[in-house]
Amino acid sequence: MSKQMTEMLKGTLEGIVLAILSVQPAYGYEITARLREQGFSDIAEGTVYALLVRVEQRGLVDVEKVPSEKGPPRKVYTLNATGQAYLEEFWRTWSFLSERLEQLHEGGK
Amino acid sequence: MAAKWIELVTGSLEQKKQYRQYKARIEALPEPYGTVAKALERYFMYYGGITDGDTAVKMMGDFADLWDRAVADGTPVRSIVGEDPVEFAETFVQAYAGTQWIDKERARLTKAIEEAERAEEAR
Repeated sequence: MSKQMTEMLKGTLEGIVLAILSVQPAYGYEITARLREQGFSDIAEGTVYALLVRVEQRGLVDVEKVPSEKGPPRKVYTLNATGQAYLEEFWRTWSFLSERLEQLHEGGK
Repeated sequence: MAAKWIELVTGSLEQKKQYRQYKARIEALPEPYGTVAKALERYFMYYGGITDGDTAVKMMGDFADLWDRAVADGTPVRSIVGEDPVEFAETFVQAYAGTQWIDKERARLTKAIEEAERAEEAR
């Protein structure tokens, strides 16, 4: 992953992960797998884990421990109402930013 | 800072017990997970500065969960920590940043500027 990609992802990964959770509840590895499917091939599982811990601390998701066939129980994350409101704000911010950038891009051609 | 950190997590009897449980979980990790977990833990102590025992215990519990899961799934250590382990370590600790010592300084700085602004307006 390029340095620029890493930097840009830093500001948007939280929104991306919440957007994935808005489709359906998931545990850490499922989210990493979804991201990899969508082309974020170098994303580290630990990065997603740390992010989930943060959104949990901030009360954007609900967490349920579900027993797993091997190893410790898995923590399944569900987007709650606060998280939903946060995600809507993320999309508004994103639309604004991408529109402005697109204008700059067109203008520069 | 490391000594202080241990002191804070050994603050209460309950926390002492949880801390011992955490240490045992990290000790029980197979290689190379144990080495990686301990290397990260060392970095947390220097970087983290979490001053609240409950937060520290919560963080260590989550950290041990992460490694137990990685062992169970057989996830390679590099896929856990990524290309830049420092980045990962700092992101992880920052998730618990609500009670870091630096927050007091952040609040103090914000307050100082607000007071200066008020003094400016009153002139």
